[in-house]
Amino acid sequence: MTAAMIVAGVVIFLLLAVPLIVQVITAFRGPFLPFGVASAQWGVSNFVTLWELREDFWSVLGATGAFVGGSTLLSLLMAFGLAWVTVRTDFPFRRVIGVLVIVPYIIPPIVKAQAYLLMVSPETGVLNQLLRLLPWTGDVPIDPYAFGTLILIQALTNVTFPYLMIVPILTNMDGSLEESARASGASWGETLRRVTLPMLWPGLLGVAVLTFILGLGSLEVPLLFGQESGRSIFALKLWTLISSNAGELPQYGLAAAWGLVFLVITTIAFAVYLRATRNAERRASVSGKGFRPTTMKLGAWRIPVAIGVAIFILLTAVLPLFALFWAAITPYPIAFSFTALVEQTQFGSFAAVLADGEFWASLGRTLVIAGGSATIACVAATVLAYGIARSTSTWWTRAVDLFASSSVAIPATIAGFAMFLLFMVINPVIPIAGTVLALVIAYSYRVSIAYRASYSATLQIRTELEEAALTSGASRLATFRRVIAPLLLPTVLAVWIQVFILGTNEFTLPAFLATPESRPLSMYVYAMINPRSAQLYAPDQGAAMALVFTLLVFLIGYGLQWAVSLRAIGRAKRRPGLPGLGSRSGKPPVAPAPDTISIAAQEHQEHRARTKLRTPDAAGSERSVSRS
Amino acid sequence: MTTQTTDAQRGGGLLVVENLQKHYELDGAEVPVVKGVDFTIEPGTFYSLLGPSGCGKTTTLRCVAGLETSNGGSIRLDGDVLSTGDRHVPPNKRDVGMVFQNYAIWPHMTVFQNAVFPLQVSGGRLPKAQARKRAMEALELVQLDHLAERPATALSGGQQQRLALARALAHRPRLLLLDEPLSNLDAKLRDTMRTELRSLQRSLGISALYVTHDQSEALSMSDRVAVMNGGRIVQEASPRELYDRPADRFVADFVGRVNMIPAVVRDRDEHGDAVVEAFGTRMVTPCPGGVVRGEEVTITFRPESIRWHETAPADRPNVLPARVVRVEFLGEIVEYEAEVLHGGTTVGRLTARGAPMASPREGAEVFLELAPHACRVLVDDPVG
Repeated sequence: MTAAMIVAGVVIFLLLAVPLIVQVITAFRGPFLPFGVASAQWGVSNFVTLWELREDFWSVLGATGAFVGGSTLLSLLMAFGLAWVTVRTDFPFRRVIGVLVIVPYIIPPIVKAQAYLLMVSPETGVLNQLLRLLPWTGDVPIDPYAFGTLILIQALTNVTFPYLMIVPILTNMDGSLEESARASGASWGETLRRVTLPMLWPGLLGVAVLTFILGLGSLEVPLLFGQESGRSIFALKLWTLISSNAGELPQYGLAAAWGLVFLVITTIAFAVYLRATRNAERRASVSGKGFRPTTMKLGAWRIPVAIGVAIFILLTAVLPLFALFWAAITPYPIAFSFTALVEQTQFGSFAAVLADGEFWASLGRTLVIAGGSATIACVAATVLAYGIARSTSTWWTRAVDLFASSSVAIPATIAGFAMFLLFMVINPVIPIAGTVLALVIAYSYRVSIAYRASYSATLQIRTELEEAALTSGASRLATFRRVIAPLLLPTVLAVWIQVFILGTNEFTLPAFLATPESRPLSMYVYAMINPRSAQLYAPDQGAAMALVFTLLVFLIGYGLQWAVSLRAIGRAKRRPGLPGLGSRSGKPPVAPAPDTISIAAQEHQEHRARTKLRTPDAAGSERSVSRS
Repeated sequence: MTTQTTDAQRGGGLLVVENLQKHYELDGAEVPVVKGVDFTIEPGTFYSLLGPSGCGKTTTLRCVAGLETSNGGSIRLDGDVLSTGDRHVPPNKRDVGMVFQNYAIWPHMTVFQNAVFPLQVSGGRLPKAQARKRAMEALELVQLDHLAERPATALSGGQQQRLALARALAHRPRLLLLDEPLSNLDAKLRDTMRTELRSLQRSLGISALYVTHDQSEALSMSDRVAVMNGGRIVQEASPRELYDRPADRFVADFVGRVNMIPAVVRDRDEHGDAVVEAFGTRMVTPCPGGVVRGEEVTITFRPESIRWHETAPADRPNVLPARVVRVEFLGEIVEYEAEVLHGGTTVGRLTARGAPMASPREGAEVFLELAPHACRVLVDDPVG
């Protein structure tokens, strides 16, 4: 067991620490690569350059702050409002809405960005077309390259992430605390302001930090919109710095210095997050006792809320999918009209996608990369998490715990860049730069998602269950095999699926790492819609492929979840007394004692929460790192 | 160790624990939890460790189970060394069965799978058919055989605890370890389980080490009880002896309820009795040797040993005038509190218990009789 733990720890160290170390070295060593190059030498010249170009530096910092900060704030507001409506009000269709709101989550981010680009196109974009119907708008109601548009679109692209994290916070809130405020004579508004928000504040701060880091790590919107907008956003800056201009060596050193600056920023944000979540636990607003918080009666507010929700769903699900579909069935960008619908539409682009060998090849690579990285991450994370959760807490285990949880603090842009540098550096010895294997390794950096999930799942399994096996005569290995593994498995499977879906959707990492020979589907879609890639540019086929891509992610992801839940239901049938396992009809024969059902029920709920509700970077991270 | 006598009822083992020591590390400092505990469990006896939380009783039990590694002393079962300060047999090789406070029933298995587990793993592995037969026997013992195929989580609390017991007994260990197994059950069920557990242990003849903070459990079930405090055993005795002759204030106070009154020794006689002065009255009480005239002591007596009279009984020693200030009806008994009077002023308070039929009224002036044989002198100790 110990040996397995050490191996897992080393794997995670290689995934998380080594690339960042290489990046730091590069920042202080040479304008190009730190090793194996004549020009490499220690120094701070990269930072000097950064300072000499300080106008550029400040403008990037400002634009990034406004872009990421603004979109984070905006998406938090939207997410909180929606979560409140779906969890805490008597809004009529809140269950349906709860599902619809999650739809954008299954659309790969690059596809979302592409769809928004189509939607807000000045002449032909469906959103602009719709807004032109309003009496007070001008010719181009939404300028696609205005900075405000950029922020709004980024907020819409990432909004599902904070939503999925806020929902459990609101659901698990101890309603009795609010009820006692209400009983003391406070109105809903006063209760919200004086009790609810102060109680939720640490949790929300945690969500804000993770959303911020996610925003810093997404390249899709800056890449598609930002190049034209004239604002230089960090993700884009980093990406352009490593692509070489004609005749020049790429400025890896300068890029590394840039990366370091932002790594410091996210580290500070992560520290804030740790503090916030630690306080959250201290305040114990989440007791997880399975009560239902009271719901607020909307009354006359029903109508404005309904309009708001409708606009949100229109903007995040209906219009993007429509815009993609319209782009796929029209040969060149034209505005929607019924004449066009009748005369100009064709479905050849879908056929072309399915007949394209490169499409199937990149799909295959996507599955290999996502599957391989999910497996590496889950296996290493589970073994290490089990070991750490079960060992007595010392500064050493706390440090390992924090370290293994730290990938949530690394924006994908920095991870992608650092991995890129690492593969360049080791290329003379281990030539894997640009290969599928490199992508598998890079994608595995999201190991912390799996680590956090396995860690809290292990904590859910009371040690007595293991001790009972030991005193029954079972060896450590038999105990792990017969008792621990079966109880951890549902969580591990759920997390595997989650990391896998995340991998299929991944865009930022391959943008830094992939070559045409190793690129996954997300990069192939981008190549098709990018006007600069001369031979491949085919926006209709790109839109068709984006739709097929989305459909495939949906089918694969939900197919896997369906398979896993079938297994869970199978177990539920053999376990009739368990509440929450779908045996709504008929009471259990004997009411189980509360504390004895807890493991199984919690395990199941956690599992459901993770497969259905949690998202990318977060997986249980709101409960979090500070649990150590 | 051998597992030859598989089908015969093997009976209990002899557990000898000598000078057991255990400390935890907390922020680099050693916090002693068990400070040299000695005890012996004779084969087939039911032995309880009784004490308040934090007294080290559970740690002692876990050291015997092998779930904690002791830091010193030895643990031997039938002569096999289980633990010395530096060598420890792992828990799965100790031939013990353990019942946990929270049952620790595996939720992903059925009732039968739980019970058969000890017969499938290394320690006590048996051929399939035989294991099945043995597990069913264990389930029959606790009357769960008809629920064998049910998922373990579908059992009630009491049934889960029975299953835990069946699982602990399935491989017929020489020693059964029970860690507050009844504390999660409701009062009524606890009483039933107490009786069942005791009779099961007797009929199997297995040795049992029972840990509890509930004195009535310890007194009613055990052959021997060891009261622990601050990591040490302060008194080891039969339940009766423990109750009648507590060794010190702690035991007297922890095991049952007790009145303690300060007194001064005025005289000693040749029978070992003493005359002491308490509440301004001279009283006769048995007294341990070594206590001399003029010494300040504490006399203790149980509330139920107090009798009350409406008029002062003639020719009886140890009678105190008192006024009843509170009468509390508790069902089977009545508890009342009285202020002891001396020359018209209150000099102290006593708690008494009696049958509900004949209880004094609140405010009544009565005479309380403390029979000399029910009194006991404790020499004041600084720990008290």
